[in-house]
Amino acid sequence: MSDAIAETTGLPYADAVPGAVVDADEYGIVVNRDKLVEFALHLRNNEGFDYLSSLTAVDYLGFEGRTPEDRFEVVYHLFSTKKGGDGIVLKVRLPENDPQLPSLTLVYPGADLQEREVYDFYGIVFNGHRRLRRIFLWDGFNGYPMRKDWKEAYYEEEHKPYKSRWPKGHYQWAEDRVPWGDNIKYPEGWDPDTFVPPEPPLPIIHEPPADAGHIKTDRIVVNMGPQHPSTHGVFRMIVALDGETIVGLEPECGYLHRNHEKIGERNTWLGNIPFTDRLDYLSSMSNNFGYVLAVEKLMGDRGKPPERAEYLRVIMAELTRICNHMWSVGFLLNDLGAFFTPALYTIEERELILDLFEAVAGSRMMCNYMRFGGVARDVDEEWLQRCRDIVFNRLEKKIDELETYLTNNEILLTRCVGVGYLSPEDAIALSACGPMLRASGVPYDVRRARPYSIYDRFDFNVVTDDGCDVYARYKVRIGEMRESVKILKQALDQIPEGPIMNGKPAYVTRVQKGEAYGAVEGPKGELGFYVVSDGSDNPWRYHIRAPSYINLNTLEPMTIGYKVADSVVILGAIDIVLGETDR
Amino acid sequence: MIIVITSVIKSLVLILLLLTGFAYLTYYERKLLSRFQVRIGPNRAGPRGLLQPVADAVKAIFKEEVVPDHVDKVVYLLAPALSLIPALVAFAVVPLAPDLTIGNFTLRFHIADVNIALLYILAITSVGTYGIILGGWSSNNNYSLLGALRTASQMISYELPMGIILVAIILTTNIGRETGTLSLVEIVNQDRPWWLWLWLWLAFPMFFITMLAESNRSPFDLPETENELIAGFQIEYGGIKFALYFMAEYISMITGSAIMATLFFGGWHGPFATPGTWYGPIVGFGWLVLKIIVLLFLYIWVRASMPRIRYDQLLQFCWKILTPLSIAYLILTAIIVALAAP
Repeated sequence: MSDAIAETTGLPYADAVPGAVVDADEYGIVVNRDKLVEFALHLRNNEGFDYLSSLTAVDYLGFEGRTPEDRFEVVYHLFSTKKGGDGIVLKVRLPENDPQLPSLTLVYPGADLQEREVYDFYGIVFNGHRRLRRIFLWDGFNGYPMRKDWKEAYYEEEHKPYKSRWPKGHYQWAEDRVPWGDNIKYPEGWDPDTFVPPEPPLPIIHEPPADAGHIKTDRIVVNMGPQHPSTHGVFRMIVALDGETIVGLEPECGYLHRNHEKIGERNTWLGNIPFTDRLDYLSSMSNNFGYVLAVEKLMGDRGKPPERAEYLRVIMAELTRICNHMWSVGFLLNDLGAFFTPALYTIEERELILDLFEAVAGSRMMCNYMRFGGVARDVDEEWLQRCRDIVFNRLEKKIDELETYLTNNEILLTRCVGVGYLSPEDAIALSACGPMLRASGVPYDVRRARPYSIYDRFDFNVVTDDGCDVYARYKVRIGEMRESVKILKQALDQIPEGPIMNGKPAYVTRVQKGEAYGAVEGPKGELGFYVVSDGSDNPWRYHIRAPSYINLNTLEPMTIGYKVADSVVILGAIDIVLGETDR
Repeated sequence: MIIVITSVIKSLVLILLLLTGFAYLTYYERKLLSRFQVRIGPNRAGPRGLLQPVADAVKAIFKEEVVPDHVDKVVYLLAPALSLIPALVAFAVVPLAPDLTIGNFTLRFHIADVNIALLYILAITSVGTYGIILGGWSSNNNYSLLGALRTASQMISYELPMGIILVAIILTTNIGRETGTLSLVEIVNQDRPWWLWLWLWLAFPMFFITMLAESNRSPFDLPETENELIAGFQIEYGGIKFALYFMAEYISMITGSAIMATLFFGGWHGPFATPGTWYGPIVGFGWLVLKIIVLLFLYIWVRASMPRIRYDQLLQFCWKILTPLSIAYLILTAIIVALAAP
C-alpha cells in the first residue's frame, strides 16, 4: 500500500505517522480518521504545512465506484506560508452511518468556522470542537442540505437545464407538477405554532485576570446586527460588554444564506459563472477568475486560454482589486465615524472603473465576463485607451491624495494604531488570508506562492506590514492598490493582439472526471473554488473557499479586550462582504 | 407692565427665529455636506431645495407616534422637551443688536440682561444633559443606555475646560475697569485693546472644541455614534420626538455659535452697526447672524472631514490635554490682567 502512495504522491511524509495514510488517489492522500490529528500535527510541525486553507466535505452518494462505507469525504487543503508552492490535500473518508471525526481546531484554529459549516451542511460531527452548532441555517432546520438525498422545498429536478416550466405556454407551479409537492417537511414532533425559537447563543466570556482592585461587575450583552449600520450587510455580532470593553463576542451569520453551493450543483458548469458574481458582489471579476481557473484544470487543452485573454483577465482582476480596496478604505473611514466624505471620494474612482466594466461586460457589478478557455468579449482600442488614461494618469494621483489626507491623520492614527492586534502566528493559525495576513507581516500572496495565469510575468511586490493592527491593514490595502497599478501598467503595455477564446464558445462544457482546486488572490484574500466532477454537465461538488468568511475566524480573538467602538473598526478592516460570507 | 409685554413679544420672536434658523440650518448643513462630498444635495423641494426643511418638518410631524412598550413612559416623553428647552432658553442672555431708542422708549435686543449671564449659560446647558441622559435611560435599551452613560461623562468632562476658559474671559473684563462683569451685554459693550483680542483668539480653538463636545457634534458625537451605537440615546425615538432631539442639537449649535461670536468676535459689533442710529440694530443683527453662520460653517466643516475619536480617547484628550491647557491659559490670563492693571 505505502509503495503505491509514495508513487502517486511522491511525498516522503506519507509514512511518518504509522497507519495514518491508508490510500491515495491522484488528488490527495486518504487519511485514517483516528490518526488525523497526529498526522496533521506532524505535517504542521515538521513539514511546514502551517496553513489550512480550505476544509470542506463531499457527499459521494451514488457516485461511480463509491459505497455507503465511504460516502462522505472531508477534504483538507494544506499549504505552506513559508515555502509556497503546491500544497497537500488530505482526505478523510467517512461511512454513512457514522459520520464523525476528530476536530482539527487544536492544530489549525482556523478550522473553527469551516468545521461548523461542514457540520451545518453535511451533519458530519467534529469531536472536540468547542461550539459545534449550526452556523448558516437556523437551529430548527431539519436535515443537512448539502447531502445528495436532501431535496429542497419546491424541488424540481436534480440538474439544470430543467424541463420547461411553461409546457404548451402555460405556467405550472412546481409543487403541482413534482411528486414531492412543495416538499416542506417538519421534523417529527415539531409544531410551528408552539415552537419557541432557541435563545440567542451567548458569547464565550473571556474574563479579565482577577487582580486586586478589580471590581466584579455585571456584563451586558449587546446585539450588534443584523440591522446595524456598520456590519456591512446583515451580519450579527453578539457582544458581551464590561463597561465599554468587549469581553466576549460571538459572530452570527447566515442571514443572507441561500445555499449557493447546492444551487451550484444543480447548475451547469457554465451557468455557475454568472452565479459566482453574486458571491462577493464588489469584485465579481475576481470571482469569475477563480471559478474558471478551477474548472479549466479539469478541461485539459481546451481549458487553456489564449494570450490576449490571459492579459484581459489579469487587467480585470487588478482593476477589481483597486475597486475593492478603494471601497474598503473609504468605508473603514466611515466606520471610524467620518461622515461619508472619504467614502464618497474613493467611490469616485470605483465608478470610473465600473464604467470600464460596463463598457466591456455590459454590467457594472455582475460582470459575468470570463469563460472557460477565455473571456466573453474582446476590448477595442478605445477601451484600452480609456483604461490607460485611468491607470497611467489618474489612479496614482488619487492614491497619493488619499494618503495625504488619511495616512497621517491624527484621529485615524489614534483610532487604528494598535487596535485589533493579530500576531503573525495567530494569523497563519487562524487561516487569515489576503490583506489580513499580509498586514500581520506574513508575505503570503497566492499570486506569488502559486503563480496562476500569467502573474509570473509581472514585476510587483507583495505588500506587507509588521503593524498587525487595523492601521497596518489600511496601509497594506493602499500599498496593494499601488502594486495593482504597477501590474496594470505592465499588462496594458504588453497586451497582444489575438483571439480571446480557445475554440468556439459553447454552452456545454466537457469537463473530465476529477477534482480541482483553483485559487486566486482575490481582493479579500485567497478565493478558492474546489470542484468535483463526475464527467457530466453539472458539478458534483462546487465549494467556495470564501475569504471573508474564513477571515471571520480572527474576529473574536482580535476584538476581545478592545472597546465597543473598536469592534466595528476591526470588522471593517476585515472587509467582509456578506454575499460571500453567507453564500 | 410694558417690560412684561415686550419680554413676551421678544421671546416669541426669538423662538420663531430660532426654529426657522434650525430648519434652515439643516438645509445649510445638508447643502454644505454635499458640497464637501462632491454631491449636489437637496434640490427637489422648491427652488434649489429651499422647501426641504418644510418637507422634513411635515414628515416628522405626521409620523405615527410610537411609544414602545418597554419604556418608562413619563420620562421617555419628557426627555426630548427637557433637551430642547435649555437650548432655547440659553439664548435669552445673548445681545442680538445695539439698543434702539425711540423717544423715551429704549428697545433692547436681548430678553434678559442677567448680571450672571455666563454662569447662567453654564447652568442651563448642564440641564440639557439631563434630557439626553434621561432619554437614554428611560428607553430601556442597551444602546441608548451606553449612549446615555457616554453623554454623562462627556458633558461633565468638557464643562470643566469650558468653565475655566470662561473664567479667563471674565478676568479680562477687569482690564481698565474697577470691576469685571459676567453679563454678556456688558462684555459686548466693553472696548478691548487689540492685544486682548489676540489673546482671546488664542483660546478660541479650545473653546470651540468644548462647544463641539457640548452640543454633541462630530467628532464628539459619541452619545449617538451612528456606526457603533446606531443612534445612541435616541434609538427608541421616532417622529416628532426624534425631531425634538434633533432640534435641540441644532439650536444648541446656534446658541453656541452666538455665544462664541459674542465672547470672541464682538457680537453684533461691526462696521455701520452704530448704536443710537436707526439702522444700527439692523446692521448689528446682520453682523451677528453673519458671524453665527461662519461659526456654523466650522461645525459642519469639522463634521464633513473628521473621523470620530473613541470614547476613552475623548476623555483622555479632555483630562490630559484640554484641561491642563485651559488651566495654563487661565493662569497666564491672570498674570496679564494683573500686569495690565493701572
